[in-house]
Amino acid sequence: MTATAVAVEPAGRAKSRPSLARNRRWALGTSYVFLVLFAIFFLTPPYYMIVTSFKSDAEVAHMATNPWIIANGVTLDQYKLLFTQTDFLIYFRNTAIVTICVVVITMVVSILAAFSLGRMKFWGSGILATGIFLTYLVPDTLLFIPLFQIVRGLGLLNSYWSLVLVYPTLTVPFCTWIMIGYFQSIPKELDEAALIDGAGHMQMLLKIFIPVALPGIIAATIFAFTVSWAAFVYPLAFLYSSDQQVLTVGTVTSLIRADVYKWGMLMAGALVAAAPPLVIYAFLMDYYIAGLTAGATKG
Amino acid sequence: MRRSSVTRRGVLKYAALGTTAVIAAPYISPTYAAGRLTLGCWDHWVPGANNTLTKLCNEWGEKNKVEVQIDYITSQGEKDKLTAAAEAQAGTGHDIMSHRDWNIQVHQNALEPLDDVVNQLIKQHGPISPVAEYLAKIKGTWRGVPTTVGSQVKPCCSRLDLYKQHAGIDLREMFPPDEAQYDKAKTDQWNWDLYLTSAEKLFKAGYPVGLPMGQTSDAVDWVGALFNAYGVVMVDDKDNIKINSDETRQALEYLKKLMAVNPPEVYAWDDAGNNRWLVSGKGSGIMNPPSAWAVAKRDNPDVAANCWTHPIPRGPKGRFVGQLPQFYGLWKFSSNKAAAKDLLLYISQRDAVGQLVAASFGYDLPSFKSLHDFDTWKTVEPPLGTVYSYPPRGDEQTSIAGAPARSDVGAQIYNQAINTVMVAKLTQGGEKPDDVIKWAERELEGTLRA
Amino acid sequence: MAEIAHRGWQPSSALARRRPVAHGLARLARRRSTIAFLMCLPLIVIVAGLVIYPACYAIVLSTLNKSQTRFVGLGNFTFLLSRDVFWMVVWQSAIFALSAVFFKALIGLITAHLVNNLPSRGQRKWRGMLLVPWVIPLALSTLGWWWLFDPTHSAFNWIIRAFGGTDIPWLSDPFWARFSVILVNIWYGAPFFLIMYLAALKSVPEQLYEAAAIDGANAWQRFVHITLPMMRNIIAITVLFSLIVTFANFDIVQIMTAGGPRNMTHVFATYAFLLGIRSGDIPLGASVSLFMLPILAISAVFILRGVRKRARDIA
Repeated sequence: MTATAVAVEPAGRAKSRPSLARNRRWALGTSYVFLVLFAIFFLTPPYYMIVTSFKSDAEVAHMATNPWIIANGVTLDQYKLLFTQTDFLIYFRNTAIVTICVVVITMVVSILAAFSLGRMKFWGSGILATGIFLTYLVPDTLLFIPLFQIVRGLGLLNSYWSLVLVYPTLTVPFCTWIMIGYFQSIPKELDEAALIDGAGHMQMLLKIFIPVALPGIIAATIFAFTVSWAAFVYPLAFLYSSDQQVLTVGTVTSLIRADVYKWGMLMAGALVAAAPPLVIYAFLMDYYIAGLTAGATKG
Repeated sequence: MRRSSVTRRGVLKYAALGTTAVIAAPYISPTYAAGRLTLGCWDHWVPGANNTLTKLCNEWGEKNKVEVQIDYITSQGEKDKLTAAAEAQAGTGHDIMSHRDWNIQVHQNALEPLDDVVNQLIKQHGPISPVAEYLAKIKGTWRGVPTTVGSQVKPCCSRLDLYKQHAGIDLREMFPPDEAQYDKAKTDQWNWDLYLTSAEKLFKAGYPVGLPMGQTSDAVDWVGALFNAYGVVMVDDKDNIKINSDETRQALEYLKKLMAVNPPEVYAWDDAGNNRWLVSGKGSGIMNPPSAWAVAKRDNPDVAANCWTHPIPRGPKGRFVGQLPQFYGLWKFSSNKAAAKDLLLYISQRDAVGQLVAASFGYDLPSFKSLHDFDTWKTVEPPLGTVYSYPPRGDEQTSIAGAPARSDVGAQIYNQAINTVMVAKLTQGGEKPDDVIKWAERELEGTLRA
Repeated sequence: MAEIAHRGWQPSSALARRRPVAHGLARLARRRSTIAFLMCLPLIVIVAGLVIYPACYAIVLSTLNKSQTRFVGLGNFTFLLSRDVFWMVVWQSAIFALSAVFFKALIGLITAHLVNNLPSRGQRKWRGMLLVPWVIPLALSTLGWWWLFDPTHSAFNWIIRAFGGTDIPWLSDPFWARFSVILVNIWYGAPFFLIMYLAALKSVPEQLYEAAAIDGANAWQRFVHITLPMMRNIIAITVLFSLIVTFANFDIVQIMTAGGPRNMTHVFATYAFLLGIRSGDIPLGASVSLFMLPILAISAVFILRGVRKRARDIA
């Protein structure tokens, strides 16, 4: 905590006080030590997954050597087999389609709703704002049975479009809440000024609010992306053909055969599956943070 | 309903399959329009095994002008049960679905009676496994047809070399790959007491047997088999809780000794734990279908070459092995029932069954004793004859934990793994046998509500 | 934003001064609320059709007997309340969710501060590394963890043995099994808190800290009096969301222990799955799933009301 407060000291003033500079270096050092510790905790499993994915099946099964290193030679077989012998690439494509559609739907629905709930009022809007969050209280392990009927009724059973239909229930409520928060933090004068200027509500939203709330929108996008990329229960229940399957369920079901686990390929699949979200994060996080910082200083 | 000559030809074609089956009373299926039939089948873990089933179904489909579509649904994450539950609830889905363990009982109200199909098969193949009957004949009506695919028993799979070297037992000599050569004097020695003393020796030698004690089917099955061998009854068929008995105490006492010479991690094993234990080379024996052997063949051939599948030990009440058949169920909401029944008959003919058994390297075990003589079990290697005794041989009887309680109750006992939790409480939790029995009595009371 | 907070409700009072045009404003307000409602419509349709209707269906389901032929009222719930195993599940779910969320929030807060402190050049790299657990699909990363804990092949135990220790029965001993499932949950969830907190930290105006520094507040005081109050809403929403999701978590326990050993890691979702899907008593499974609903709903309503109230005060 010490570190935080010191860090926000403007640099110029720090220079004039040598003790503070020393303090600051010390704080930075401590920060790094702790960060390294947390990074070890966070990265141990991914590291082990990477190592396993480059081992041969025999080395994994024997356990004769140090499991943390690749002793019997690096092999790309697991990845090769994953891409050629399984439907992994189909799962990947399906997941990408589903995720993109869900993110778009989620953002449109939740921005509209959040704008209306956060900036405008109508009868019951307060109850609605609280109510949507409560939807998370009904777990998907329970919802899938009635949803199965709906999905079937719409003729979407065993089609990944069923996921485009149901995933928004996982993403929209939280995204709406994030967006409500951001819209509410925007000064009230802005919309009143715009209204008096005769701008319509949609114009106001598009021209004023969306640009200002961009960090919030990115945060919500990232959330929606991650959730729909990783969802497990619904595809487990609604999809069974492998040409419709998505990454999470497809990887698990095609690489675990009854009591036979293909560890190397499973780990390879998990890592490849994690790559797109990681890239998206690395890319969007910069905008996210930049937007936030800009917003904060402007405020 | 009209009857057409197509159907008669359909019946005749079974007679023409040239099997030993006797078609006493030809099964006459009502006509069905050429149409579509959808199946949701268990996704086999053996590479290529699904193709054989697909091939058989397509053969039938071409002959009968029915488009057959099969979705292979894995049991991983209980995906198959999830799908079945959703389909039953929604009243829509595949025509035929394969159901594991107790799922016929679970969905009995949504499943079409299949007495005609099963009775026909009994006429052709002779007696059916009592476990299959217990699981699929609900209140006198067959609601499922036992499958070949995925049906299994869980006898011993042991290391020939380790047993010989450390326990002084030659398992190949005791259980040679020909039932006719079984010597009763020798096989009778193979009882739970000998199993324990040899397990103790193997434990001392650093190669313990690995018997799972979690809450999944591998664990429930072998403990259920042992309970049966000791005459333990949890709940009888008239809803009387019988767990508080001397037999239970005797079995628990035995298990306390046996679990002491198992590796401590058996309490965390799922159905793959014992396989990995054997494949790793650390374990001397497990109780499992030959899937562990098959993985060893791929990943650790030295271990595989020394694996021998053989009957389970005998107990005071007999030699019981855990059996877990699968069934095809036909949903009541199916719109093509006659075709579905015809297809089920077709894939249950001797010739078809033989192909399925071969495709799974002997893993799939039909529920008819007369179908346990395929060459596959004799020819699979290494070592030659390793899975010969995988189908129940000699005096081995099949059983399932939960029986003889009425099947609603049995399903709860089995799925909540009351038997293995009892054992784990005793051996891992250090509770007293009487407390464990008291706990079990209360849990069993809960199952009677069903 | 600090300015806004100080200015409070000025704009509305300005509005009040324009009373003469009240008639026009009322019409405007009516039109405004109609538009607002229309904007919410997609959300309402999704929530009503895909959550409320199925939820009502589930509630009806929980009042039926096993074969769903008879209405039993609260019979399933009273039955559950009489079972020892169920009470164990309640207790375990509470421990599981509360401890996991607490540590997630704590680790998220600490790491967010640490990252926020770094010179901006280095932040990106660290942020990326610390986010990895959150982006690997949970079902797959849990498999990776499970493989690390695997009784026969545990790579952790390999290290422990290398240092001369004895194997830890990660998943077979009830204590360690509970520890392991909670650990995986923390590992997976902490980065989510990190992102949310990092965003919140960035939005705290620096002027506030400067002012506090001039007043001679120390680091802890600044954290307690500036950072925490400014982050309260985001912390509340994140914790609430995480609490609900953790209570409902299914993947981790199902994959790692499936409730064992001796039912000692079962949580609501896995126990409901066991009763509903594996044992085929869907109504009873639904009852287990719904058991926490009233308690969580009441706490959620209070937390969210607080959040909305504070948000209004700030705006």
